[in-house]
Amino acid sequence: MKLLPRLPWLFLLLVLDAPVATASEGLTLGVSAYRPADVMVMQYQPLADYLSEKTGLDVRLEVLAEDDMNRALAANQLDLFLTNPSHFLVIRSERSVTGVLATVLRQSGATSTASLGGVIIARPQRDDINRLEDLDGRMIASPGVHFLGGYQSQLLELIEVGVDLRRRGRVKLLGSHDRVVRSVLAGDVDAGFIRTGILEQMSAENPRLRDQLKVLNAQNLSGFPYEVSTRLYPEWPLVALPHVDQARVRRIASALFALNSEDPAAQAAGIAGFAPPADYQSVELLARELRIAPYDRAPQLTWLDAFHQYRFWVIAVGLLLALLLASSVWLGRKKRQLATEQRRLRRLILSWPQPMLMIRDGRFFDFNRAAVELLRCPSDDFVMGKAVASFMPPLQPDGQASVARADNVMERVRGGVVESGEWVFERADGSQLWADMTLAPIHEGGEQDNVILCALYDVTRRKQAEQRQRLAASVFEHAREAIFITDEHGMVIDVNGAYSSMIGYSRARAIGRLPPLPLEEGPGILHTARERGFWAGEFESKRADGKGLTLALTVSRVLDERDTLTHFVGIFSDISRLKEQENRLRTMAHYDALTQLPNRSLFADRLQQTMAQERRQDDHLAVVYIDLDHFKPVNDAFGHGAGDELLVEVASRMRSTLREEDTLARLGGDEFAAIIVNVQDRANLENLLKRLLAEIAEPVWVADHMVEVSGSVGVTLYPQAAELDGDQLLRQADQAMYRAKQAGRNGYCLFDAGDTGA
Amino acid sequence: MRRRQFIGSLASASLVGAGLPGCSRKPPLQVGVHPWIGYESLYLAEEFGWLKDSVALVKGGTGSESVRGLLEGRLDAAAITLDEALRVMALGVPLAVIAVMDVSAGADVIMARPGMQSLDDLRGKKVAVELAGVSAIMLLRALEQAGLEPSELDVVDLPVHQHSRAWQRGEIDASVSYEPVASVLETRGAIRLFDSRSLPETIFDVLVVNRDRAGKLRPALRDLLAGHFRGLSHLVRSFHDAIYRIATRQQVTPEAVRRALATVMLPDLSANQRYLAPGGRVEQVAASLIQLMLREGLLKMPVDLKGLCDASFLPRGPL
Repeated sequence: MKLLPRLPWLFLLLVLDAPVATASEGLTLGVSAYRPADVMVMQYQPLADYLSEKTGLDVRLEVLAEDDMNRALAANQLDLFLTNPSHFLVIRSERSVTGVLATVLRQSGATSTASLGGVIIARPQRDDINRLEDLDGRMIASPGVHFLGGYQSQLLELIEVGVDLRRRGRVKLLGSHDRVVRSVLAGDVDAGFIRTGILEQMSAENPRLRDQLKVLNAQNLSGFPYEVSTRLYPEWPLVALPHVDQARVRRIASALFALNSEDPAAQAAGIAGFAPPADYQSVELLARELRIAPYDRAPQLTWLDAFHQYRFWVIAVGLLLALLLASSVWLGRKKRQLATEQRRLRRLILSWPQPMLMIRDGRFFDFNRAAVELLRCPSDDFVMGKAVASFMPPLQPDGQASVARADNVMERVRGGVVESGEWVFERADGSQLWADMTLAPIHEGGEQDNVILCALYDVTRRKQAEQRQRLAASVFEHAREAIFITDEHGMVIDVNGAYSSMIGYSRARAIGRLPPLPLEEGPGILHTARERGFWAGEFESKRADGKGLTLALTVSRVLDERDTLTHFVGIFSDISRLKEQENRLRTMAHYDALTQLPNRSLFADRLQQTMAQERRQDDHLAVVYIDLDHFKPVNDAFGHGAGDELLVEVASRMRSTLREEDTLARLGGDEFAAIIVNVQDRANLENLLKRLLAEIAEPVWVADHMVEVSGSVGVTLYPQAAELDGDQLLRQADQAMYRAKQAGRNGYCLFDAGDTGA
Repeated sequence: MRRRQFIGSLASASLVGAGLPGCSRKPPLQVGVHPWIGYESLYLAEEFGWLKDSVALVKGGTGSESVRGLLEGRLDAAAITLDEALRVMALGVPLAVIAVMDVSAGADVIMARPGMQSLDDLRGKKVAVELAGVSAIMLLRALEQAGLEPSELDVVDLPVHQHSRAWQRGEIDASVSYEPVASVLETRGAIRLFDSRSLPETIFDVLVVNRDRAGKLRPALRDLLAGHFRGLSHLVRSFHDAIYRIATRQQVTPEAVRRALATVMLPDLSANQRYLAPGGRVEQVAASLIQLMLREGLLKMPVDLKGLCDASFLPRGPL
């Protein structure tokens, strides 16, 4: 049991001991086979021989493919190795090495270089492959992924122009540069990757080769002896393994540095010798950049490492996450609350009986059922997106254009003011709608959207009533007829302008008093109106200034819905002028225009009346017929004007002779007639007739001449034995006058029965 | 290698205004550069596409072209020597040093006739020097070290590219120059009497930006420095590649590049942070340079060094 743990140690010792045991026999130099093995042996055998010679050690050459070299190294079968820098990095990462002894100094013609790079080749016939970008997705040949000049350097250049071969390309790994060149020449692949110098070496063997290939992304670096497509890296390192004795390593190193370019060994290998070890940092950076071996794996970081490294950040991020979670929960809850609120508010608005609409950027974007119905729109789409003014006639009643006024108001509302006013709308069906529109901003200062709540209140009925009322008021105020309204007791409570101007009372004085009423009936007419519904009539009244006037009045009662009398309404007009006119017409019909005495027609009326009266009172009356004598000569001598003057004067004298109750009329021309009432006896009558004749006979001054006329008078009395009418009486008086004329004029005759026969 | 190149020897391939297509957002940062080993990081960055579209290299032939560009406002930034930067600032263009590109460690040299042993031997000799360039500083510093006064020499103000001919004709006894003139003179028998290795951390090549524009160009300046440090990293780590690329551009052998690289120190990010720190080496050197240049009449008026170094554009994390 005690032996078992020692066994691995023993094994290890044996392994470590093995090369030491063989050391005395010589050293093995492994060279990476980047070209075919026979070529490699040809090139490097002289170097091995040179080293053997110089150091006195037996240096054996082993040309190994990459994998073989790895295996050989793992088996510790190599003491020195020469390989490309990328491969060296991989080896170094897997096991300890002493470090680079020297870096190859490659020779080409007269120049040497310690740098290598990658070359990208294609056939010149391939017109489609000229730039690095053209390689995207192509089939490419490469000697192997650990080749610095044959893969990795090209990869970096391609990545920098955005072409990632590892993802999108197909890379054929052929193991050696020669195969790559052959594969490109054969057209098996679209392009090939090789390291610098290969093309030049192979061209030396086959001069036509260069014409059969083209180099992409040629770098043209002056002083660099090879064609190259990529940036440059240090040449191959020659490395000693740690098990090699230090003294031997020094001997090898001094031999390497002593090699000069003219030495056949150098010539064969195509090198100028060896330079002091180069700095392989750039290769490491490349490997890191490409994430290839040995940097193909990110270093394993434990959580604890990360925490220690980023303690502050972890705590800060943790805190922030916690905060974020808390605020998310809080926000979520708020959001739900808000959504509920919003739904409730929306339901409220949608179901609210008053029409409501929401306006954003001057257009409706939300509204309730009531609004659609109010505007009588066939569907919601009809309202959606429409401007307010599109539901209005072009002009508002105040004369403003609807659009302008609406814009104006919106602007003010956007400024935060609540606006309310009456608007006329035109519904979808063309009918007119009066509405009280209230616009209120419902956005807050910080919000981007300008949302306005628009509430409509239908005032069409009120508006129509107002219009009727205004019309009525206008009628009341502007009627030519005077109008008054009283309470149920007849006391005036309102009058119109015509009333004031007609009656002469101001409105204030008129109110609280009775309206003008007929003198006789007075407030009785109100009673009539109360009973019958109205009263109409004409009556004399007086203005405030005492002037008389005639009014034609109609009073109507006003009942309320329960048929209770509440008011009287009276309309009257001033008919004074009408009455005057009527009087004048009547005068014209009954009076003589010249003498102002009643004419024949009025005389006949009066006679009829007087006759009836006298009959009732059992009194007597006399009808007197008067004809002026010699009137015609006056007319002829002095003209009709003089005649008329004479008639007026004579008429006046006769009128003044007669009593007030008697009637004198002019029957025409120079003929007059009179009715003498209350004739007591014959003597009185004859006295009167004599005075009458005397008055007529008095000289008259007309047309600057003294003129004398006389009268012939016939008289008859009433009642007589036989019943007579007026005409008969007058005819009797006429006949009597005729006798008086015959009797020599300027006298009078009383009618008697004999006159009838004459 | 031709840091202070002979004026006109290289046609100025000015790219001002050419801009870069696809960068319509903002005109790119205009950075003046010219061939010099210390500035190769920028050329490499450009070659590998590590400079973003926000940065455009304006490639001139010499440092004086960059100086002119800064003075005329065509350039936002440039890689020039520290003394050139101070001269520009004295002419009224405020500059900030945002990175140290390289520190001369042997690149500047005094070549002399064989037989001269020390600087003391220059006493009374004809010394060719380009007073308007960094060579003047080199000479003055060298004399300072040797305890000599410029008046003790016979100073010949001569552009560097004419030194070799003057030497050939025997018109001068010594030349204050740099590569490649120094190597040319060497082949003609001159010996290295003194070089900038003896003046450690004195001759700086820096990346400057017009301070008035730095605020607006902040992202582009970061991009520029990120590109520079990436280029520098390639130069140092992928040395095997870089020397060939530099050799190709400068049209010299890789060996010459290797030699040239040995004459400069290329400070990495942490070295830059140290140099640009407040009261750091760049400020100190600038202050003493001003003293020297004022004393010798190379500068007409003092320059305010407040805010000269600005380390805020240096990349933050590891590259």
